[in-house]
Amino acid sequence: MLRFIAARLLQSLVALVIISVVVFALARATGDPLYLILPMSASQEDFDNARRYLGLDRPYVEQYLSFVGRAVTGDFGTSLRARRPVGELIGERLPNSLKLAAFAMGVSLAMAFPLGIMAAVKKGTALDRTAQIVSVLGQSLPTFWVAILLVEFVAGRWQWLPAGGIGGFTSYILPGFTLGWFVVAGLMRLLRSGMLEVLDSEYVKLARVKGVDERRVIWMHALRNALIPVVTFAGIYFAILVTTAIVVETVFAWPGLGRLAYEGISSRDFPVIQAVVLTTAAIVAVVNLCVDCLYAMIDPRIRYAR
Amino acid sequence: MKRVSALASVFLLILALVGLVLAGPGSAQPKTELTVALSSFSTEVLDPPLGGHLVKYYLSMMFDYLVGTTPDGQPSRDGGLATRWENSPDFKRWTFYLRKGVKFHNGDEVTSEDVKFSITRNIGKRSTTGYAGPLRTLIQDIETPAPDRVVIVTKEPTLIIPTYLSRSLSTEGMITPKKYIESVGDDVFARKPIGSGPYKFVEQVTGSHIKLAAVDSHWRIGTPKYKTMMFRLVPEEATRIALLRRGEVDVADVSRERVKELEKEGFPLHYRREEAILTMWWILGPDGRVGPTKDKRVREALNLALDRAEIAQSIFGGKAEPAAIPLGLSWSFKDVGFKQTPDMLYPYDPGRAKKLLADAGVGSGFNLDIYAYQLPGLPEGKTLAEAVAGYWEKLGIKTRLIPVDYPAFRKAWFDRSTPGMVGYFNIANRDWIGAYALLEKQAYSASKPSDTVNDAEIDGMLAQVMRQTDKEKINALMRGVYGRLRSEHLGVPVVYLHSPYATSKTLGTWNVGSVMYDLFFDVLASGK
Amino acid sequence: MPAEPTALAGPEPDMVAVRTSRAWRLPVFPLSVIAIFLALAVVAPLLGLPDPHEQSLRRRFKPPGWEEAGSWTHPLGTDRLGRDLLSRIVWGSRVSIAAGVVTVLLASAFGAAVGLAAGYYGGRVDAVLMRITDATMSFPVILLALILAVTAGPSFTNVVVAIAVVLWARYARVVRGQVLTLMQLDFVAQARIAGAGAWRIITRHLLPNTLGTLLVLVTLQIGYVIIVEASLSFLGAGIPPPTPAWGSMIAEGRDVVTSAWWVSLFPGLAILLVVLAFNLLGDWLRDTFDPKLRQL
Repeated sequence: MLRFIAARLLQSLVALVIISVVVFALARATGDPLYLILPMSASQEDFDNARRYLGLDRPYVEQYLSFVGRAVTGDFGTSLRARRPVGELIGERLPNSLKLAAFAMGVSLAMAFPLGIMAAVKKGTALDRTAQIVSVLGQSLPTFWVAILLVEFVAGRWQWLPAGGIGGFTSYILPGFTLGWFVVAGLMRLLRSGMLEVLDSEYVKLARVKGVDERRVIWMHALRNALIPVVTFAGIYFAILVTTAIVVETVFAWPGLGRLAYEGISSRDFPVIQAVVLTTAAIVAVVNLCVDCLYAMIDPRIRYAR
Repeated sequence: MKRVSALASVFLLILALVGLVLAGPGSAQPKTELTVALSSFSTEVLDPPLGGHLVKYYLSMMFDYLVGTTPDGQPSRDGGLATRWENSPDFKRWTFYLRKGVKFHNGDEVTSEDVKFSITRNIGKRSTTGYAGPLRTLIQDIETPAPDRVVIVTKEPTLIIPTYLSRSLSTEGMITPKKYIESVGDDVFARKPIGSGPYKFVEQVTGSHIKLAAVDSHWRIGTPKYKTMMFRLVPEEATRIALLRRGEVDVADVSRERVKELEKEGFPLHYRREEAILTMWWILGPDGRVGPTKDKRVREALNLALDRAEIAQSIFGGKAEPAAIPLGLSWSFKDVGFKQTPDMLYPYDPGRAKKLLADAGVGSGFNLDIYAYQLPGLPEGKTLAEAVAGYWEKLGIKTRLIPVDYPAFRKAWFDRSTPGMVGYFNIANRDWIGAYALLEKQAYSASKPSDTVNDAEIDGMLAQVMRQTDKEKINALMRGVYGRLRSEHLGVPVVYLHSPYATSKTLGTWNVGSVMYDLFFDVLASGK
Repeated sequence: MPAEPTALAGPEPDMVAVRTSRAWRLPVFPLSVIAIFLALAVVAPLLGLPDPHEQSLRRRFKPPGWEEAGSWTHPLGTDRLGRDLLSRIVWGSRVSIAAGVVTVLLASAFGAAVGLAAGYYGGRVDAVLMRITDATMSFPVILLALILAVTAGPSFTNVVVAIAVVLWARYARVVRGQVLTLMQLDFVAQARIAGAGAWRIITRHLLPNTLGTLLVLVTLQIGYVIIVEASLSFLGAGIPPPTPAWGSMIAEGRDVVTSAWWVSLFPGLAILLVVLAFNLLGDWLRDTFDPKLRQL
């Protein structure tokens, strides 16, 4: 088992290195941040000075190695725009993204559970259909549109909930719902098929024939069977929520990682772009690693699949 | 099924109830805090030499200037550290007499040493402010003969020193504490700035907000009306307006599109009239103008093809005025005695435009690419580009829209890699010195690469202005520049934009002012 | 010489594991919606609609025909530049659906190829390919699309490339998983013994058995791509004006969502219907082929 974990860890590291090279190249391809930092009156000399001061005049390989070297120690350089250590900026924003993602996950599960169970138990009926459509609806609407409509009506007109910014519990509701609705469909499907698998199985049919209480059947066996993939996929979905929340963060003025990335790209802020992409990739890698380990613990065959 | 879904439903219900209870009908803002929601902060560095060349709403509250201004941009003895100033007969020595008893937020006295230190630092090599360059070349030395006197010695005679160090332009005149910065260093200062203004820094979360707290009493505004000031970054308009409706913010910048809706609901709207001129130009080639726009008739035709009244009415919701002078910063017109006469306005005359094109030999049309992008303060940017393309298409010109964002456009403009292509900007309006500074960037060939005009006569006129100390002569030269920009059609002026700021219904009077990039919260927060 | 073993004794799995319960109840709603929009997209030029690019500032933000201020020359109203909304929605169907389909086809073709190779060859090839796949999967799609838009300017091509470049990894993983299972079965070994080369085995035996899964994934992802394009338009990295595309139409209308509600609503409904249809169709396909494909 340990061997498996070690091997997977190594694989994740390799993936991260590949990503670091790619994002380094991409960031530099976006353009020149100096045009934004320096005012119009800047002369060629000012440009050269600034370039030297920021270390942008060194050869690319040297810049890359310096970037990686410091990244390993947690030093992601200084933001060209905010003139503060990037690590600090990420430290400020990452918890906000995590908190929002956790809330969204909660909303998602709170919706997926009743819908999924109802769909499985009432399979083939109108209720099943309705449940499916409600969940799929979350994936069929552009996120920003849902967000803006909620802000306009629920927050602005009817004033039931806060409109934006990170604050108390209520400020999580609208952005959390918008973000979470998107993954409800996936979770609901998992629940539904997981339960169906059991409900249709011989074991359950036998239990029914034996006269076991219907509710016991559902609770004990079907649900438990459905929970495993849901839990593991909840992990992956969580990673997705953290990393793709940029639209929600923009509309709800949520100071998270997605917004930091957007600002970084807009201002061609290389250190920020590199750091955010690496951070999100690392999050996804860590989550994938945990999921794979969980799977390996459950199903030993996977450990030895070459 | 029943048990689980029943539980889940109850859970959701509780969630909703809690939410409703906690939210309440628009949680009222404690009257002691002023909250401002802005669509962009542009730069969030709180160190004057690094932060000022754009937005300075919050910096102006944290720091004092050497020279103050009135809300309409005139130098004032009441608003700045200098109670009066005078120049030597040869205009090379400027003496400023400082206010006594002003303290920084950490208790240190403000002296001439701080002024010297601040100015030197603000225009140093590290600075990214807009006027640091010219000041560096101009200023020879700064003397501090007494704790309350500063003398600025220039290499050449000039009139611009007080204005360049005032609130009306950028942040070069902001006074920062010498002892504090020397002891903690630049980086710590940027994160925990200390100034002498009416509000002191409390906290900043980048991408989210900046919070300031009032000092007990300040010479600028007495006892501040608001105990705290909160600047929130809210990029999405719908959210800003929702916050306003909920009473969570007191001031919000809004787009012209939504003004009618807010007016109907009774939200007071304050306009910065002619806050910016929306002007278009053709990118120059390495050696000057290229392509059909080399011909004056083509340039005139492109101007005649636009229906500015319709543009102002429809795209900008009536919150704009047709403009007549390319790069014409109207807040400077009165200063220099320039009168914009009705005949200077371009009529909407596509017929004549077509004829001019034919005369110039391009009657069958030519290719013209237009960069399309949005800008802070100009959410209608892309719409404008599309509309203009539409007008030019009617002349038989083949237009193409090139979507970019501003940094990419700026690069193309400076690199001169795509000569002939059209770009635009909403240039903030300003007084004559600021206007001169802008023209020196964008209308002066020697200022490659930012030049957009490339005209020898204008070059000559602008070169003389800097050395002039006779205001009459300066005015004449500036009038000449504006006149020629118009007569030679050296750009496409579109409209002057009025920028709306919506406030909560209980806010009170506020003179938004016409100082560049500054919303003049002094009046609002004034306890006098 | 032994004949090419096409029908072997060893169990070659059925391509379609049909479940009797719901298989043959065709999903009428999704199929008809998709058919209608595809038809619209194809015959758009023949419908005699007003030019979707023709602007007139005077006709700006005219409400739909049934409203008091509207007129039936513009049945669904006009947008911020006075362009006919109905026409733009119909023409936009070509762009939006094409974006979805092209992206997904590219991603699935490339991803399937990678997955097949990794699964079949195994060993070092598999290791290298899977590392690259992992790296790709953890790259956030929207960020990559933004970077590309900022570097090379937003365009239809850039949107397709940006999304496809990240999306293929999904297919690669899924296909590889399937291939690994298939490789355990007898028929592959038997094909090898009979002298079949790698290409033959991959194309004749492995690929056909993954087509079902691929079809499900492809259908589900078309909707996803259309939604991502809409989000990109919101962030300024989508298909640029003046091309009509549903995503950018909704984004453009977001400041007037309460006053000129039709500008966002109708393209929004179009996206909703089409994406919903593709998602429901994908669900049905999955249920039909193998409900065990939960990870999709």
